[in-house]
Amino acid sequence: MGFRTRQIHAGVTPDPLTGSILTPIYQTTTYVQSSVDEYLSKGYSYSRSGNPTVRALELKMTDLEDAADSICFGTGMAAVQGVMLAFLNAGDHAIISDVAYGGTYRLCTKILARFGVEFTFVDGSNLDEVAAAVRDNTKLFLTETPANPTMKCTDIAGVSKIARKAGAIHAVDNTFLTPYYQRPLELDADMSIYSTTKYMDGHNATVGGAVVCAKQEHADAVRFIQGSTGSIMSPQVAWLTLQGCKTMSLRLDAQSENAMAIAEFLEGHPKVKQVCYPGLKSFAQYELASRQATGYGAMLWFEVKGGLVAGKKLMDNIDVFSLAENLGSVESLITHPVTMTHAAVEEAERIRVGIIDGLVRVSVGLEDVEDLIDALERALKQV
Amino acid sequence: MSHFNHFDTLSLHAGQTVDDEFGARATPIYQTTSYVFPDTDTASSIFNLERGGHAYSRITNPTVAVLEQRIAALEGGSAAVCTASGMAATFCAITAILSQGDHIVASSQMYGGNISLMKNTLPRFGITTTFVDPTDSEAFRAAIQDNTRLIYGELIGNPGLDILDLAAIAKIAQRYQLPFMVDATFNTPYLCKCFDHGVNITIHSVTKWMGGHGVAIGGVVVDGGNFDWGATDRYPTITEPYAPFSGLNFWEEFGPSAFATRIRAEAMRDIGPSMSPMNAFLLLQGLETLSLRMDRHLSNTKVLLEYLGSHEQVSWVSHPDLPDHSSHKLAKKYLPKGAGSIVSFGVKGGRDAGRAFIENVELASHLANVGDAKTLVIHPATTTHSRIDAEALVAAGITEDMIRLSVGLEDVRDIKVDFENGFRAAKKIASA
Repeated sequence: MGFRTRQIHAGVTPDPLTGSILTPIYQTTTYVQSSVDEYLSKGYSYSRSGNPTVRALELKMTDLEDAADSICFGTGMAAVQGVMLAFLNAGDHAIISDVAYGGTYRLCTKILARFGVEFTFVDGSNLDEVAAAVRDNTKLFLTETPANPTMKCTDIAGVSKIARKAGAIHAVDNTFLTPYYQRPLELDADMSIYSTTKYMDGHNATVGGAVVCAKQEHADAVRFIQGSTGSIMSPQVAWLTLQGCKTMSLRLDAQSENAMAIAEFLEGHPKVKQVCYPGLKSFAQYELASRQATGYGAMLWFEVKGGLVAGKKLMDNIDVFSLAENLGSVESLITHPVTMTHAAVEEAERIRVGIIDGLVRVSVGLEDVEDLIDALERALKQV
Repeated sequence: MSHFNHFDTLSLHAGQTVDDEFGARATPIYQTTSYVFPDTDTASSIFNLERGGHAYSRITNPTVAVLEQRIAALEGGSAAVCTASGMAATFCAITAILSQGDHIVASSQMYGGNISLMKNTLPRFGITTTFVDPTDSEAFRAAIQDNTRLIYGELIGNPGLDILDLAAIAKIAQRYQLPFMVDATFNTPYLCKCFDHGVNITIHSVTKWMGGHGVAIGGVVVDGGNFDWGATDRYPTITEPYAPFSGLNFWEEFGPSAFATRIRAEAMRDIGPSMSPMNAFLLLQGLETLSLRMDRHLSNTKVLLEYLGSHEQVSWVSHPDLPDHSSHKLAKKYLPKGAGSIVSFGVKGGRDAGRAFIENVELASHLANVGDAKTLVIHPATTTHSRIDAEALVAAGITEDMIRLSVGLEDVRDIKVDFENGFRAAKKIASA
């Protein structure tokens, strides 16, 4: 079955009782057991351990990536945390591609570090640097590609090879491209991590996350952590996300097309200093981006001539685009990572990895591209 | 389950069979438009009402069905149909049996929406209404014409709070072989089961006490299953073949639930005011605590009646539980637990003092709803009843100084403190 068919049908079968074509929202805490001996015979006991609506989304995620199993979480950060707690113990070491989302960075340096886990942040675009960071106690590689917000790409197959040699797990945060454009498990990664909030939901309606595993034993380990720490997805969120998934590829194609047009517009604009979009020939890793993904996505960043002051002026004055966190929704969003999404990253580290003060991040939405370009044009005039 | 018949148990369990697939304890929310048929024969038999089952959520929905069956059980009716609002329930119920040229005898003291429906909307389709004093049962009889097809009233009138003498009016309805339809929103089946007193059909705005939390709009029509539609030839929509369903005769096929089925087959199909599954789920949550909430609504009301009755800024207090209310005896008869949690009272100083009171209370919300868990106040003359003329206003028993109070579930001591602030502001106006 093709991706478009699967994003609609996978995981969902008509309700056997009523024929309901959509999975019902099982907004229930508990499940009545037929007898003590038949405990769990219908698969569910308590909605922290499992819920039929959430399960439908997990089955869809599994199918879309030809994986073994998936676990949905309350947020994308909960998914990252689930993977880290499942595979890292005190004294272990993890290699994280720089720069990861600010929340991931905070989770590593401010929380897991307190429990004796060590982290090395490496330039994922440089496989030699990745290989050099490996230690005897390295248990996990977490890469994010393209990275938020720098758009730096990591060679997934290359890191998977290093991880395999080190006997460690390679998890890829694939939120920016989704399985529609990029398939980490086919590039030998062990699992993909998602903020389903982004392109899966796509409508700014929910927050949610997922871990999609190539191996059942990995999924079991992650699910055990979830059951113990309780970071579950709610049935309402799962249901809304199930609906969002049905148009994911359509949205991604249209939003990516818009992003390309905007990137080209910005690249030719006299007030713009630089534009970073993987689909541009000028993108430093254009070859890698083209090789390991089938699309370039709808995220980009640019810097206005005049740096931070000019960038702030643009963001405060632009219309159509909303000044907001989040990304991947049908609404176009504009974000200043230094003060918003990546404020937790220390300044020296931030500048080292390329989150410059004047970086303006754009999540391109589904609006008419003429309106988006017109809005940028008008905002740039005021700079 | 059928041997557990007490009210509180029914309000928690009636209508729900624990989901067979997973055992989910809560009712699943079937947020779906359609249902996949196992085969074409099943499909056609569902479409033709030959068997139960779901085809399309405008007609039926499994989550909504649980609410319908639960309310029917609480009310002691044969079947129920939930609708998108209480007004939709009233409209669908009336038009299921009345057509052009037919006539209604109705109480003159009802919710403004009911009055407007009968006075302005239904006449456009040739259905006319004679409004009568609800405290005069004989007036209902006197208003019956050859073309009268329905007697309609509210058990607790809105906002005058007059109580309908159900048994007396039911007797007249029976003698003239007319169905007696009652809007029972203000009493809920917890305070009065209207079918026990000869009523044939009840209507509820489920939005109010049944849902009880002000989170969802919804209505229901409950078929008492106790009217002989076949006794006369006046109700052809029930007793004659219905062409859209290959000549189906509702009375012959469905007997005691013929009326509810007609609404399902016609109004839900051709008019379509269906309740959403999400609203049904939210309203089910509310219904689970109906009796607990009603007991607290009533005990708070009792305390506030005493407080208002002795307050120097209050010119009058009206509630059927007060001995000086003209309906007090009827309230004792039909509403022995208490006559609901709506109170009207007058603020000394008239319209402006009334406004000052409403603008200076803080806890009590100024809004056009009743039956919320939160205490609500409103000035009917300028809001709920503003679209009816001055003459009808008087006929509906509304004065300009009237405040309508829907007593909530807060600690009643806080409600009194809040009201004290309102009365202080009203006093300034009154003595200015």
